Order: sequence, then C-alpha cells, then structure tokens
Amino acid sequence: MEAASDPFWDALEDDRFLLPSCEDCGEAFFPPSRACPHCHATDIEWLESEGVGTLYAFTRQHRTAPGVPSPNVLGIVELEDGPRLLAQFASEYDDLEIGATVTLQTREYAGTVDRGRLEGRPFFEARLRD
Amino acid sequence: MTDARVTGLATLPNGTYDVPERDLAGEVLLEAIDDAGCTLSDVDGLYMPKPRPWTDQGFFTTLLEHQFGLELAESVETYTGGTSGGHAFQHAVGDVRDGSVERAVVLAVERNSTIETDDYLEYILSIFDREFQSPAGPTIPGVYAMSLQRYRYEYDVDREDIASVVVKNRENAAANPDALFDDPVTETDVLESRVVADPLRLYECPAPCDGAAAIVITRGDVADDHDGTGDGVRVGGTGAHHPSSHLLGVRGRSLAAFPAIAGAAERALGDADLGVAELDVLEPYTPFPHTEAMLTEELGLFEHGEGAAACARGQTATDGAIPVSPSGGCIGRGHPPMVTPLLNYAAAVRQIRGESPVVDDVGTVLTTSEHGHIDGVTATVFGGDA
Repeated sequence: MEAASDPFWDALEDDRFLLPSCEDCGEAFFPPSRACPHCHATDIEWLESEGVGTLYAFTRQHRTAPGVPSPNVLGIVELEDGPRLLAQFASEYDDLEIGATVTLQTREYAGTVDRGRLEGRPFFEARLRD
Repeated sequence: MTDARVTGLATLPNGTYDVPERDLAGEVLLEAIDDAGCTLSDVDGLYMPKPRPWTDQGFFTTLLEHQFGLELAESVETYTGGTSGGHAFQHAVGDVRDGSVERAVVLAVERNSTIETDDYLEYILSIFDREFQSPAGPTIPGVYAMSLQRYRYEYDVDREDIASVVVKNRENAAANPDALFDDPVTETDVLESRVVADPLRLYECPAPCDGAAAIVITRGDVADDHDGTGDGVRVGGTGAHHPSSHLLGVRGRSLAAFPAIAGAAERALGDADLGVAELDVLEPYTPFPHTEAMLTEELGLFEHGEGAAACARGQTATDGAIPVSPSGGCIGRGHPPMVTPLLNYAAAVRQIRGESPVVDDVGTVLTTSEHGHIDGVTATVFGGDA
C-alpha cells in the first residue's frame, strides 16, 4: 500500500512541490490525506505548486528540542494555492514581516526526529523571495 | 435522567513531590472520599486522564483499583493532551447521569519533575504532524507565539494589556494556598522577563509542575440521601467541540480565533439552560495570556480584540463584572496539564460552596479544558437549577 504522502516526498527529491487537490470540489489541501478535508471526496489529484506564498505568522524559539537549531525561526506560510503549512525559515528573524512573499525550497534534513520510512530523504524550508 | 453532583474533592498544592504518582493519587483519593462523606466501597466508577507517557507506572487505573480494593462498573483512562481530564470528567458525568454509575471518582496525577526539558521537548515534537511539522522543530510556546502575533496584528491589541492578564492571575494566585506562585508581578516584570518564543515572554508561559486532584461525582438521588457535606454542587452542563485543526489553527480561519471555545461553551450552556450573562465566574484552561483574553471574546463577553483591554480595566478581576481565573489559572497556579482541568473544577466547586478567599455569592461557574493549540475544547458548567 502506498502512503498518502508518497507523491509529495517523491517529487521533493526533484525539487518539485506537489499539493494534493480534490477532484470533486477543486480545493487544494495540506497535509496529504486519503479524503478531502473540505468535502470528504476520495478522488485526489496532485497539483504542481510553485511553492510560493505569503508569510502568515512567524516566531523565533529560544529553547528547542535536541537536534533543532536554537534559536529556531519558524513561520506559517499561506501558499498561493490555498493551504497553510509550517516551515523553518532560512531567513533572519529580523527581516521577516507578516505578508512578505516567501518561497519554499528543498533542503537536506539534519535533525534528530526519527522520520521512519522518510529517513535520509530531503525536507523543505522557507525563505524570503529574492 | 438524573443529575450529577460534585460531593467531594481534594487537591494537592502544585509543586514538586518526591513520592511515586500512586501515592499522590492515593492521597487525593482518600481525602476526596472523606470530603464526600462516603467510603471506598461506595465508589463504582474511576475515570482518569491517562498519566503522561513518561510516567513509569502503566495500567494506572487497574493498579489503583487493586491497591484500594475497588469493584467498579466502569473505569476509563483518556489521553487527548490537555483535555484528557476534561473528557474523563465528562465521561463520568455522562455515566452518572444515565444511571450506569452511582458514585464516580475522577482522579488526575502528574509529575513533571521526573522529565528533563530535552525529553519533554522531544515528546512535544511527537504531537505535531510527524511527517510535515515535527522536523521543523516546533514547540508549544512557538505556536502560541504565532497566535499572539496574529491577534495583535489583526486587532491592534496593546502589548501591556496582554501582560495585564498575567498580572491579574499572579495576584489571584497569591491568595490561593495551592498555587505554585505566591508573589505578584508587574507588567514591567512580565515584559522584561526573557523571551521564550518571540513575542512570548517567560512570565506569560505556564510553569510545569507536579500535582494531583480527585473529585467525587454522585448521582443526584444518591447525593440527597447521604449525610456528609449536603447535596453537593450540581454539574449544570457539559459540552465539547473540535473543529478541523491541528496546532496551526482551523483550516481557512484566522489564527486569531479559537472557535472550539465558542462551540464547546455553547453546548455546555445549552445543556445547563443558561446564558453567558448568567455566569458568575470563569475558570478557564488558558495557558497563555492572550488565550484568556480571546476566550472572553469567544464567549461574547467582549468584542473581538477587546478582551485584553477589558482585563487591564479590571473587568475580569475578582471584583470585576465577570471574574476570570480567580484561582490564578494556569499562569498563576502552575500547570500540570493532566490535573489542570480538575483544578478548575475544584476551584468552581469551592467558589459555589463559599470557600473561595477572593469571590463570594457565586452560583454558576464555566470552566474549560483545551489541548494542542486550542484545537479541541471541553466546557463544563457548575451550578444552576436542575
């Protein structure tokens, strides 16, 4: 059986961002699921996303778990395609502001979270768009 | 259907304990039974938030049942983070109301002194979306920092007004002998304490600690018969709500809104046949100051964005129009999340019994519990007419 998120992680290997999208109601959503969280239809297609959005909220955590940078700059990105997601930021905290245009990018994962079947596969982060 | 009444309770002061959880549990169990004027043989239901994953003892209810020679019609352990105690309590109330249990004990115990901060932070990573969020390294203050940022951004809320919630709750806690903190703080103290996750400061974050509490819930007709502490305090209504949300807010909604609160409260008040205006006190589970302000807004007591200013004006103080967290709440009392819902219930019952040092003539209290980033909420009303 294929995991619901496999197409996302497979595409990320090629620096592409795929978002699940409902064939019934047309809404993109995140994270991947076997049913659309908007209308509960089960026919899901994958949308090629530019990985571009606006910064919805952000913080800088000063005490973090082992294997996580400290401080750790995090934000919620509202993608142009609709869904919001959490991302670590490669940009400086002081440069961030709500509403700024940001882009997702692939990066190697160097933390200590046990990612199970995804061990060794790339993760993603966000940065202010140039 | 009969009604459910709280006929006995016991709480340990929040702090640090060096005895096993089973002893803390046994202490509050016996004291609550004594307070209810009944015996262990009268108990036929035991409901607990499942002790935290770092608790050595598993099968905790089974152990207690064996240790204390209980024979039960029902025993339950729930685990949904901060609402665990709320769901355990509401499960007990449901069983008592439908008659399947006559006298339930809801019991919670937690020792945060037994876990290192690094291990706790690793546990917290596991509650986030394991595939898509945990690798980014979020913390609980981190997500609440972002809802505080959005709240201020969307409603232009004054930073000092947010801090005033901490000042109020620390002052209230100073009158509560069970609270972790007994020293008041000023807004300057709050806003000059170290940053935990920008813009949240240390004094705005709840302090983890050890604690334990037990509450006896008795079926109304049985409570009428016993000769202990009278008829008890009626559980007026219960409700819960969980929108589609996992730590980053409700899909498609602002992060400066917590609709789970309004949903749960509406159901609990409907069950109690009460309106918000008929509440005398709120004892909410609101670990961060902006969440207490936002709760008062979600209940319709103040316009959106006005809750913190209302606190700063004294409207939620013990002598205000609607006292909020007279016991000190999570921020003033300290915060063992499995126990906190029961501490809210105990505070409500004591206020209605006339035992509160800071509020009197209390007839109705609304309490809440929440988990995650206020993803899910339980609301429980105490008092009111049958």
